[in-house]
Amino acid sequence: MKYLPLIWSGIWRKPGRTALILLQVALGFALFGVLQGMKSGVERSIANTRADVLYVGPGVFGGTPLPISYADRLKSIAGVKTVLAADGIPTSYQNPKQFVFVLGIVPTDDYLTLLPDIFQVEPKALHALRDTRNGALITQDIGKKYGWHVGDRIPLTSSVLKTDGSGTWDFQIVGMMTDHETGEGGFIVTNYTYLDESRASNKGTVRNFYVVASDPMHAGEVSSAIDRAFTNSPNETQTQSFRELRQQQLQSIGDLNFAIRSIVSAVLVALLFSTAAMMMQSIRERSPELAVLKTLGFSDRSVYAMVVAEGIVVCVVAALVGLALATGVFPYASKFVPGLSMPSDVIGLGVVGAVFIALISAALPASKAARLPVVEALAGR
Amino acid sequence: MRLTKQYGVLLRMSLMGVTARLGLVLTIVIGVTCAVGVLVSMLAMGVGARREALGNVRPDRVVVYSSDAQNTQQSSLAKDVAAQIPYLPGIRRNASGKPIVVFLVGAFVQARYKSGREGGFLVLGVTPGLTDYRPELHMTAGRLFTPGLHELIASNKCATQFENFRAGDRKHVRGSDWAVVGNFDNGTAVGLCTVYADAETVLSTFARNTYNEADVMLESAGQFAAFVDAVKANPALHLKAEHEADIVAENMQQLNGILNFVSFFVGTIIALAATIGAANSLYAIVDSRRRELATLRALGFGAVPIIAAILSESIVLALPGAVIGALVSWALFNGLSASPLNSSFHLAVTPALALLGVGWALAIGAIGGFLPALRAARVPVTAALRAT
Repeated sequence: MKYLPLIWSGIWRKPGRTALILLQVALGFALFGVLQGMKSGVERSIANTRADVLYVGPGVFGGTPLPISYADRLKSIAGVKTVLAADGIPTSYQNPKQFVFVLGIVPTDDYLTLLPDIFQVEPKALHALRDTRNGALITQDIGKKYGWHVGDRIPLTSSVLKTDGSGTWDFQIVGMMTDHETGEGGFIVTNYTYLDESRASNKGTVRNFYVVASDPMHAGEVSSAIDRAFTNSPNETQTQSFRELRQQQLQSIGDLNFAIRSIVSAVLVALLFSTAAMMMQSIRERSPELAVLKTLGFSDRSVYAMVVAEGIVVCVVAALVGLALATGVFPYASKFVPGLSMPSDVIGLGVVGAVFIALISAALPASKAARLPVVEALAGR
Repeated sequence: MRLTKQYGVLLRMSLMGVTARLGLVLTIVIGVTCAVGVLVSMLAMGVGARREALGNVRPDRVVVYSSDAQNTQQSSLAKDVAAQIPYLPGIRRNASGKPIVVFLVGAFVQARYKSGREGGFLVLGVTPGLTDYRPELHMTAGRLFTPGLHELIASNKCATQFENFRAGDRKHVRGSDWAVVGNFDNGTAVGLCTVYADAETVLSTFARNTYNEADVMLESAGQFAAFVDAVKANPALHLKAEHEADIVAENMQQLNGILNFVSFFVGTIIALAATIGAANSLYAIVDSRRRELATLRALGFGAVPIIAAILSESIVLALPGAVIGALVSWALFNGLSASPLNSSFHLAVTPALALLGVGWALAIGAIGGFLPALRAARVPVTAALRAT
């Protein structure tokens, strides 16, 4: 404890220099926090995605959609708790660049409880949707983007044509919903029956089914049982859990692991040199003061420890500042990877890294300070 | 004249002292090396991706697709509409006098990469005339597919990414067996895995009845405006025409945007850290030379030459970092294949990127050296001379 004031005054001997070092190390660790946090955040986000919700789609992407009559066959498969059908059409609002995906569902009460992973909705809005044939639920984001409000009538243009040959679809906004992930373009939810009855082709089909397995532990078996049930039928299926889909979606970030590792090591190497050089310079300038300490009876070991402690305090404080900055950046990073937040283990890792940098970069200056010849240092040589 | 002479002397003194202050000097060099190396390597991803995507683009090639579609994948081109496209003006004719128009339909086939990862490839069904439209395509093995048969040809990239894509292999696609009858190279760029097959066979296999787009080769790039006007003149077609380059660039836009944002975000933070490190080192260098500088001021050296000399020293110390950083990036990453965000390309460390790195280093040196240079010029002469 009695060393604390000494360490403190050592750190602030040159306030400008210390401030710059703090800033530099903080920047390095902010970058570390963002990159490493992104990587761990992706892994955690995969682990948190539900494995018991299965997405049943056509066996071939872009192939013919599945008949809605499959719903009954799906329900009869052992281990299946709930089956929900969904279809969608790509549309645009006012010009082709303003893309809006319209998801058509059968608005049963299952959506209130079962699938918050797709969207969350209040009972009132869901019932309003059920009562309005061409009703639509929108997210706050998309409402703000295009100036839509509940009660508005919106015309959307699609390459999917209606029975009357036109590609203009009208929707009546009846309520709000919350998107689980803030997607880029956003989507709106409407009644499947409206979509299906109005469109000219692919009637009686769906893009996919959502199947919830009764036992999450056995979701994998349910998934293969579904695909087996439809092999060699005209519409083969491919069933994947939400977690598997998420994994594929985020795989690409995982491919950046190598880049992240390279950048993080480059940053750490640069910091290492910087802090080591600065401490070396500081020891050189302070050699008369250190000699006085030794004359007063401080042992070589305690001088060594003091120099190392200075390094640790500076690096750890700076690292914490940097990691706090990184945590503040994360809401913006989640624009690219929905659902990301700063994992706490990355903060721990960062602090350990800071101690590590301090120990390595202080080793040489500290031993120089410890071995300082008192007489020569006092003589100013 | 006097000032430049003073500046020369000061700069020589600064640089002769480099070996005596090796630790501080190395901090600047290594900081800049890391900053430039990281920036150049990250940008090399975007440059490599764009180079490969645009490698084969020609100004006389035009893509025609539905006017209400956001992109070509969403476009659908009915056959009766398609039949009118070859009669549009300005289209080049092949050796036998037929207009060079290729209709194309893309279907995605899910497949597992050799690495075990789930993914897939696009089967492009094309009508006859592919080799007229893409003269850069040359077969490295086997032959072209025969229309009407379940035959396909695959680019050499496919064989490296997936199993069973060598000429002579058989591929199971959508319930039927397809024969891989040939392999080809896509001209200069290696590109993504590309699979071509007969359009009608693809349409019937995937139960579709419309093409996605028409690829048209014009007599010359100058015909483009006339061609676009002809397309617009017939609104019943619901079509639009764009340069091949624009379509490719549009497909690249998202990837490029993300890569560039990440590169400059990361690059700027590292550069800031390097600048602070350089400033700190230079402050220390100036501090250790206080008496020397005060003596010079007493001898009549001006403030301007001192500022200029310290700034120059800072820049001169930053430059080797830029060169080393660019070289390390080139040695480690040039030509390395990367596949972020479901695309696949080789990193390209180009001279232009190296130059950008040098510019970056100059900025780090100049900004980092500015305040220390001011301090050097403001050394209080009497106090510094009296100090021990």
